[in-house]
Amino acid sequence: MRALFLVSTVLFWIVVAAAWVSALRPLAPAPSDVSAEPRYVLADIAQHGSVDDCWMAIDGVVYDFTAYLPEHPTSPRVMAAWCGKEASEAYHTKTRGRPHSSYADGLLPAWRVGVLAAEP
Amino acid sequence: MSAALSALRGLAAPGLLLALPAACLIWAWPVELHGWRAVAIVSAWAGTALLVGSTLLMVRAARLAALFGGLDAQYRWHHLGGTVAYALLLAHPLALAAAAWQESPRLAWEVLSPWAQHWTVWLGWAALGLLMVGLAATFSLHLPYRRWRALHYLAGAGVVAGLIHAWTLLAQPGPLALLLPLAALALCWRLIGSDLGLAARPYRVRSVAARAAGMIEAVLEPCGPRMAVSPGQFVFAAFGDGPGFRGCGEFHPFTVSSIGDDGALAVGIKALGPCSRHVQGLTPGVAVRLEGPFGRFLADRADGPQFWLAGGVGITPFIAALRAGPLQQPTTLLYFYRSAQDAAYLEELRSIAAADACLTLVAEAAAGPPPTLDVRLSEVPGLGARQAQLCGPAALVEAARGALLSHGMPAAAIHFERFDFR
Repeated sequence: MRALFLVSTVLFWIVVAAAWVSALRPLAPAPSDVSAEPRYVLADIAQHGSVDDCWMAIDGVVYDFTAYLPEHPTSPRVMAAWCGKEASEAYHTKTRGRPHSSYADGLLPAWRVGVLAAEP
Repeated sequence: MSAALSALRGLAAPGLLLALPAACLIWAWPVELHGWRAVAIVSAWAGTALLVGSTLLMVRAARLAALFGGLDAQYRWHHLGGTVAYALLLAHPLALAAAAWQESPRLAWEVLSPWAQHWTVWLGWAALGLLMVGLAATFSLHLPYRRWRALHYLAGAGVVAGLIHAWTLLAQPGPLALLLPLAALALCWRLIGSDLGLAARPYRVRSVAARAAGMIEAVLEPCGPRMAVSPGQFVFAAFGDGPGFRGCGEFHPFTVSSIGDDGALAVGIKALGPCSRHVQGLTPGVAVRLEGPFGRFLADRADGPQFWLAGGVGITPFIAALRAGPLQQPTTLLYFYRSAQDAAYLEELRSIAAADACLTLVAEAAAGPPPTLDVRLSEVPGLGARQAQLCGPAALVEAARGALLSHGMPAAAIHFERFDFR
């Protein structure tokens, strides 16, 4: 058990450090069709963190869900909690570990307002 | 007790540790997710359920310990469950980052970086950090007991932080509606019922006698309902205040050395740490809180001829059995002690052996695993047909177990309980 603790802890920190080092590398040039879109950082999205002005970032794309909130099938409270935030995990794991349906995926482009840029 | 019932008890703790993650994964299996994101969901649910199972196995209660096959077995499964849960929970954020890596390495770092997140995710990081420190302390065997205990409490805080992290992230609580109250109950029971002694029974010290260098025997009388104890069992005792004595108030395990008809219990107390050293100055009239009884050592001693091996303070359960009445089976007791001053109960043992034809006593001074162990074993008549009961320092028990196996004794006939509950 001691060995499992030590090995898992060391591996964990090695992977975290590797992710941090990789994030320090300069970004590859974005594809032209994406670079034409407005780019927002998480701080920009955080300024739209209410039910009256609700932006979210999902998988690197920024959406404005303000007009969509009342139409969401579950309680608006569930979705409102993610306004102004990076919500990829919530979108993909919804409940019981299931992602949103392909129908929901199809709805997303209608609310797209830009792409997520890395923090400066 | 039948062997089948004993085997069932042995399966109760691993069964709990398997059933909880299995139930959670049935509910939360990511049917439409693939790759690293599915790994993240599975590791999170399996780790969380296993952590709650491990928390339940930390509860110190006599009936629960009996259900799980003894407190030593229960705590071994608690440690295994907690460590595997920790490894699974470490995999959870790494799998989420691996899924994001497919988009870009920078996005992967944003998944891991706590300052790119909000408080619900910070709780998850706090849980991992607390578990990390708590488990690091668990495996630091040389830490002083009090520091070890304080750091181990951090793992309990990590369980709470992890469950709140999951609760706040999920739209539907699902199995968390069961896991969260279970963990809260277990932690409250351990903290308030066991460590603060709310569930303990009040006793009072009737008398104290020195039995060897750095070892006393205290007779404790019940101040309320008495405890039903058998020879070979142990209790957790916290000594409070009394005339000329101020207790340390911590619960420590002590083996029962005598069981009186009036409900009084005697316990052997060896000076092994700061608290038990302090307790050597115990006086009559001191209030004591007792939890237990725990353990099944010597429970099957009527099943056939016996071979008992004691090292140092490990003589205590055997003196309890010998004081309880004449032996029913031919028994050889091999008693090793460091020096004459350390030989607790030796004169009493010689008197019992002189009066009880079933008992053969071999007492010998030895420091560490004795070099004569093999010779002494070869002198025990019909050793292979006996049931061996071992109690003493871990090194002696391990050496004796190896020697008994090499003398042809089946492993199932060798009985011992570990007495280190860290």
